[in-house]
Amino acid sequence: MKISLDWIREFVTVDIPRQELLDRLTMIGLVADTVEERDGDAVLDLETYANRPDTLGHLGVAREIGAMLGLSLNEKNWPLAELPQATTEIAEVQILSESLCPRYCGLVVRDVPVGPSPDWLERRIEAMGLRPINNVVDVSNYVLFATAQPIHTFDFGKIGGGRIVVRKAKRGETLKDLDGRTLELTTDMLVIADESRPVALAGVIGGEASGITGATRDVFIESANFDPVGIRKTAKKLGLSTDASYRFERGADVGFAPQAALMAASLLTQMGGQASRGLIDVYPKPHQPKFVRLRLRRIAELLGVDVPESFVVEVLGRLGFRVEGTHKGVWRVEAPTFRVDVGLEADLIEEVARFYGYDRIPSEFSPVRSFDLSVNRKRERLGKIRQTLLGQGFDEVINWSFADPEKEAAAGSGLRPVDIQNPISSRASVLRTTLLPGLLENAAWNLNRGLEGVHVFELGDVFYWEGDKHREELHLGLLTTGLLPGAGWTSAPAETDFYVLKGAIEALMEALRFEPVAFEDRDHPHFEPGQALALLYKGLAVGCLGALRKSLAAASAGDRTVFAAEVDLTSLFEKTPRIFQYAPVPKFPGVSRDLSFLLDRGIAYQEVGQALAKLNPSLLEGFELRDRFSGPSIPAAKVSLTVRFRFRHPQRTLVAEEVDRVEQDIVGHLRSTLNIQLREGKIDNRT
Amino acid sequence: MADLKDRIEGLRKAFEAEALKVGDAKSLEELRTAFLGRKKGHVTLLFEDLKTVPAEDKREAGRQVNAFKTFVQDGLLALEGKVRSDGRPARAMDLTLPGRKKYVGAPHPLVLFQQEIENIFLGMGFAIEEGPEIETDYYNFEALNFPPHHPARDSWDTLYIKDDLLLRTHTSPVQIRVMEKKKPPIRIIIPGRVFRRETPDPTHLPMFMQVEGLVVDEGATFAHLKGTLEYFIRALFGEKIKVRFRPSFFPFTEPSAEVDIECIVCDGKDPSCRVCGGTGWKEILGSGMVNPQVLKNVNIDPEKYSGWAFGLGIDRTAMFAYGITEMRHFYENDLRFLRQFGAK
Repeated sequence: MKISLDWIREFVTVDIPRQELLDRLTMIGLVADTVEERDGDAVLDLETYANRPDTLGHLGVAREIGAMLGLSLNEKNWPLAELPQATTEIAEVQILSESLCPRYCGLVVRDVPVGPSPDWLERRIEAMGLRPINNVVDVSNYVLFATAQPIHTFDFGKIGGGRIVVRKAKRGETLKDLDGRTLELTTDMLVIADESRPVALAGVIGGEASGITGATRDVFIESANFDPVGIRKTAKKLGLSTDASYRFERGADVGFAPQAALMAASLLTQMGGQASRGLIDVYPKPHQPKFVRLRLRRIAELLGVDVPESFVVEVLGRLGFRVEGTHKGVWRVEAPTFRVDVGLEADLIEEVARFYGYDRIPSEFSPVRSFDLSVNRKRERLGKIRQTLLGQGFDEVINWSFADPEKEAAAGSGLRPVDIQNPISSRASVLRTTLLPGLLENAAWNLNRGLEGVHVFELGDVFYWEGDKHREELHLGLLTTGLLPGAGWTSAPAETDFYVLKGAIEALMEALRFEPVAFEDRDHPHFEPGQALALLYKGLAVGCLGALRKSLAAASAGDRTVFAAEVDLTSLFEKTPRIFQYAPVPKFPGVSRDLSFLLDRGIAYQEVGQALAKLNPSLLEGFELRDRFSGPSIPAAKVSLTVRFRFRHPQRTLVAEEVDRVEQDIVGHLRSTLNIQLREGKIDNRT
Repeated sequence: MADLKDRIEGLRKAFEAEALKVGDAKSLEELRTAFLGRKKGHVTLLFEDLKTVPAEDKREAGRQVNAFKTFVQDGLLALEGKVRSDGRPARAMDLTLPGRKKYVGAPHPLVLFQQEIENIFLGMGFAIEEGPEIETDYYNFEALNFPPHHPARDSWDTLYIKDDLLLRTHTSPVQIRVMEKKKPPIRIIIPGRVFRRETPDPTHLPMFMQVEGLVVDEGATFAHLKGTLEYFIRALFGEKIKVRFRPSFFPFTEPSAEVDIECIVCDGKDPSCRVCGGTGWKEILGSGMVNPQVLKNVNIDPEKYSGWAFGLGIDRTAMFAYGITEMRHFYENDLRFLRQFGAK
């Protein structure tokens, strides 16, 4: 809201230095974003709040300044040149929709010489950033910016039958507005009509046909009060926002409507017009005063400071409240009609606090009276996931929750995405169902800027429809492509591969103690056929990982193979992890033996483990893969695996013969179940 | 033969004696020339003399001369290890070579900053709560005292999914969800993603991160709000930073306060400061006493309990703290940007 300090002085005599005034205004909540110098005047661009329509005019701001500085508002006279003729003899006003128009005031000013405004008025209008139009239009703008009460002026000669009817629009009615647009009206919109047709869209904009022109002689001044919700719905529906609708939808001062009409009439009569006698004031259900109980004790309880009684009474009085003591330290406060925001005791306490000064309220530590002892498992787990993945060399990213519907479809999660009704752009018009497209964009961005590898993860929600219910799930996404970071002068750069990705997943599942996990060959639309695994915990598939389909990866990573994974943490976190128990550190030495096998390429390593688990040989503490090899020295259809077996007896030192027996069992079992042959000599390492 | 052997023995002693005197590259070169010089070097001369040795002794003589040559070469090499071209003794190992580091990924700066904020509040006995990003109109607006069709909603420009379903415009709906299920005292912070229908510019994006705080208890006061937030700001920006509270409006708090901190970029001295515009103050928090109507909406008796709440944008605060001028850097995920926030 533009506020001219010169104009303010019409209402209150301020004589403190400007900077001090601005600083003090800030501290009561009125912040000037900018100050514009204008011929000795200063025009502030004041931030205003949606609940304080009274500050959308100079009078309201002057009232705040008065309360702040302890000054009274100046009395101003609005003399009126009146005709002998009563308004009611010339015009008639009828409200058909009382809920949308609680009050309607009007009068006629005859023989107005329409023309340029006097200098002082043009200056006021220009200070508001508007162009002066003619004296009648300028007067209505003057009243609006002076008092925050919008008024409208009609060419009375164009009001059929001299009748003003406030009613809802009829089906099919239209209105050509002051800007020349033809508005299609609907039956929920309030209009001002004459005896036959709409002449204005109530509280929003006037009609062209009844507008003021050079030919206008008699002017009908409207100063009404309209229902905020009705105005807002109409303005939104038509995509209009005017100085009038902006004020009405926040709430105009129902008590001030007559005064505003008289101000406008006074100005027009000062320019040569003559006002009809008496105001038409249709006010079917007069405003019931709002009383709020205010307790001194409650002020101290909420603010944490004792404000003197006299200060409370003084400040509220200056702000226009009627304060009446009922008991010791208790008041009955009547809010003025312009304070549409005040309805609760807390609202009054805010007024007291604003003028007492937030800076005078002490700063105290907020006592802790109880602790929430519940553990936030989810955050604990997310912390472990982050820590693990950062340690595995993955960088963390945060991508948009919005997605491009085309890229979503290409990623092929198969889920029905959630559409946004009013998206910022058509390429961000759905919510993501998968984290993958975002990670691919990160790969593209960084590879295009010369990085040789991208290894990133994101923790974030995905969304989709399940029937008519929306689902929101927390996912983990991982992507790795290109050279791995961390190469230095001692080691050459290495290319990432699927096992980097799988290792990261295994590491984080171990860190979370979701063990043991299983992987199953399972095709997925993201991945190349036969190059994808499902991640399972307790039989439930909670994620997938693999080599991304070339067609999906090519646009982002060119020829590079992209490995990616996505884990549904919402489902995973519903499962119970393994309960951690310490295992005693072995007292006796173990034996480890490396055995090399030849096996068919068709056999998965996982099957070897499963066969061993089934055999469950005694003394076998564990085993791990040490080497995998294929090449000219072995048959083409085979691979060689070297596995290190660790043997141990809990109560004594092993002897070689018993290890030999177990080893033979293992070799025999693998041969009979999977046709796996022992390849070469064994190595015996005592550990 | 014996003659040759003696000569070699003499030269060996001479070499060892000279070697002891070698202290720099120059004297080392002189020694090399004396023994291995192409024309008059002692070793070269020995090879010349080999030609005159009788055939039956040649093999043994050759072996001895070669052995002596190797001895000289090794000796010179060992001396090279002791002197550098500028005369400084050489290092057994160059420990100034860069160390070998495991690459550790970089945490996202917003996550890092969020954790910094969380840790301050965890230390003050706050618990962390979260809630869904798709919300209903009731939780996002109505329960927070935004009546339907109220212009106050304009400041929280909303992305809608259905008439009643939207992307939350702030983390405040989680206040309602927590108050519905827990009884006071409540002492929580709520971090999370929020969404607004904003046209992107350097300081506005349609998605950003927020942290919200809520205390509901008997006797909670505005003074507590001030004290706690001042402590928080000083923990984040240093002991000396100036803080001011000024009146503002939020439908869900009454009284409401905006919290400004002094501009650490220009100290209020630069009228064209891109951070504070020369006002010397930077707005970082919205806050206030929980509106009694909000407490009533969740069946908490506002006569018995009072509350205070605050919210801050993690992105903009992080921008201020790290001197970042473009908010979108956080979501471009340029690794050259992100990795500045990790272990390098």
